[in-house]
Amino acid sequence: MDRRTFIKSAGAATVLAPVLVQELLAATEMSLVAVAEGTDYPAITRKAINAVGGMKRYVKAGDLVVVKPNMGWDRSPEFAANSHPLVVRAVVEECLAAGARKVKVFDHTCNDPRRCYVKSGIEKALKGLKGVECKQIEPERFRMTALKGQFLKEWELYDEALAANVFINLPVAKHHGLSRLTLGLKNIMGVMGGNRGFTHRNLAVALADVNSHLRSHLTIIDATRILTAHGPQGGNLADVKVLNKVIASADIVAADAYATTLFGLKPADIAVTVAAHKRGLGQMNLDRIKVVKV
Amino acid sequence: MKLTTARISQLLFLALFLLLFLQTEYRGHDQINAAVNSFFRADPLVLVSYLLAAKSWNWLLLPAVLMTLATLLLGRFFCGWICPLGTLLDLLTPKQRSTRPVPWLAGNLKYWLLLPLLSASLFNLNLAGLLDPIAILLRGLTFFFYPLLGLTAREGWVRLYGLIGEQRDSLAPAYGLLKNYLLPFRETLYPLAFVSALLLVLIILLERLETRAWCRHLCPLGTLLGWLGRFSPFKRIPPGLCADCGQCRELCPTTFDQGSLNREECILCMECEQGCPNQRISFRPSWPLQLSEPVLPQRRLLLGGLAGGLLLAVPTRFRSPEKESGLLRPPGVRDEGDFLKKCVRCGECMKVCLKNALYPAAWQAGLDGIYTPLVIPRLGYCEYNCTLCGQVCPTGAIPNLAVEEKKRQVIGKAVFDKNHCLPFARKTDCIVCEEHCPIPDKAIRSREVRVLGLDGVMKTVKEPYVVEEICNGCGICENVCPVETRAGIKVHVVRNRAPITEEASGQLGY
Repeated sequence: MDRRTFIKSAGAATVLAPVLVQELLAATEMSLVAVAEGTDYPAITRKAINAVGGMKRYVKAGDLVVVKPNMGWDRSPEFAANSHPLVVRAVVEECLAAGARKVKVFDHTCNDPRRCYVKSGIEKALKGLKGVECKQIEPERFRMTALKGQFLKEWELYDEALAANVFINLPVAKHHGLSRLTLGLKNIMGVMGGNRGFTHRNLAVALADVNSHLRSHLTIIDATRILTAHGPQGGNLADVKVLNKVIASADIVAADAYATTLFGLKPADIAVTVAAHKRGLGQMNLDRIKVVKV
Repeated sequence: MKLTTARISQLLFLALFLLLFLQTEYRGHDQINAAVNSFFRADPLVLVSYLLAAKSWNWLLLPAVLMTLATLLLGRFFCGWICPLGTLLDLLTPKQRSTRPVPWLAGNLKYWLLLPLLSASLFNLNLAGLLDPIAILLRGLTFFFYPLLGLTAREGWVRLYGLIGEQRDSLAPAYGLLKNYLLPFRETLYPLAFVSALLLVLIILLERLETRAWCRHLCPLGTLLGWLGRFSPFKRIPPGLCADCGQCRELCPTTFDQGSLNREECILCMECEQGCPNQRISFRPSWPLQLSEPVLPQRRLLLGGLAGGLLLAVPTRFRSPEKESGLLRPPGVRDEGDFLKKCVRCGECMKVCLKNALYPAAWQAGLDGIYTPLVIPRLGYCEYNCTLCGQVCPTGAIPNLAVEEKKRQVIGKAVFDKNHCLPFARKTDCIVCEEHCPIPDKAIRSREVRVLGLDGVMKTVKEPYVVEEICNGCGICENVCPVETRAGIKVHVVRNRAPITEEASGQLGY
């Protein structure tokens, strides 16, 4: 080995060492993903939550909880464009049972918010629950937030999401034209204001930026039925596949990575997942994810 | 203001009008059962101008036929019992009211307004809605006063957030109630807002010069009803002022300046009957019918009116092709000429539009298109599952279609502007348009293309394209396009607006 080669490899080792150590640490700690299956959606939702430690592990008495489902489209539940109202209700009820002071449910919708809240069935499903708020977005509540990200230096985020003690990410698993799939990491766009379309220029990095700032304490992916094409809003039942599954994990990247396999894809196919994994937001390697089926 | 039967009726109808006005909005249901269009559907001026212009029958206007018959029987009761603008004027009459006619308004002016309007309708220019009292009131409310109310409330609410932040939530239920039942969902600013408000305010100001000056000397609906009222068998007895009293002159809001009751202007408010110190007055049918005035206005007026309409109708037909190509009409409107003949310009579709896609044309559609609704996608798009505009249109100018049918109606076709669209112009990924396209099979699709990036490096970019056969021109793509200068995709008018066929969707070879 001559001097030059030595310096090169030493330099490389210095640069790579922290990454290697991180990988090593990550390897010892497997990410846990629970997958519950069944046709009783509230029941499988509860099962999945219990399998990742139960809601009490995430929500403490007196907590202010935000549950962020996907209800961005004027589509009824069977089209798999929005999170299933029964799953949303079950999650909210679990939060309340765990002692949450208040549970707020909202989404920054793409179609008219009134229609989305009605058509998704979520507003109706939550009606009558005490301590639950299902309000439409109020534009003045977006707050310019420093993200210091790689693509987004700052962005407007919803103050109710920022103020919550616990943020529960509750997407429906579906196809997306640009990011191929939209899962937990992409669902975070529902707390973003401003010209959201701008982020499409560098979507994967932008989503890693936002997700690093606003961490999801628990990710529950609704795969009771999934939209396999013409996402994210679909509209054709032929594109919908009923799987009767609910996925839960404290690791958003792991939850997304597992959900990817439901579409016959690999986690590495989804740039958003890869970017988040690289950013240290979670585990995407399936062999380092412990999947518990309940 | 004494609460006579007529007064109570007036107040009830004004309340009904305002209630229906608030109902003309999406409130969680796909169907609006009762909207403010009921007033237009019972409006004889709308009926007559529609029949003259469209030259066809329309069952939506049946209530107006009934109103016409009722007026033939009873006289001009609409103005004193129902008309919400009339009621508003009565409520705003100054204490020191003047019943003396304003000289420059008196005379045949009202016929010079009504007759050319009707004659123009006959020549396919239906402008009656511009001067229809209910339309004037509705437009003033929709375009100016209601958004103003909304803006004021919203501003206050937002300021409150600035002051007390999250604590504002304790007041949220009260504000929510207001928002759900009284305030507009969005405070939209409309073109022509000032003009709409001005017209209404001017009519109200006329009230300072003479009570019901607008109704008596200008209102084309009132003039038409007054003319119909000539045939009513109901007559006031005695017809003139009594020699020993003359109180009627003070009591009557609309007529009696010439010593005898002018039946055309009597709005049957019954003030004279109620206020007569001697209980001499009654309204009774008398048979056989005796017409005190000639059935038709003077020949000079009639011919002049006809000629006026012709003069109005022909020159306004001119529309430059550039203007024509920019006119995106509400869903289901297929033919511009037919639409113009039927549109009342009442503003209801714009009031109800879910995403505020509709705005009144100021100059874009030419003089004959003033106040007609235009889709401006950059401001609002047509919501795929919404059918509200067709539901509230009083004449069916915008057809009332079932949702499945409405989805297939073509407003226009989207076209990419490659100078602005990011994947073409900047070689970056975007396709926000494809994401939002509501057509289940996507009228906007994309393909991966290897391109030379602006930095000189080859890369893969998703380039979007429009599947024209299934694009319905809803405009959501143009609306959400993140290019801030000018949308990279724009909806253009097409001549052939035949609905998308079932076969066209899905099985296309690209």
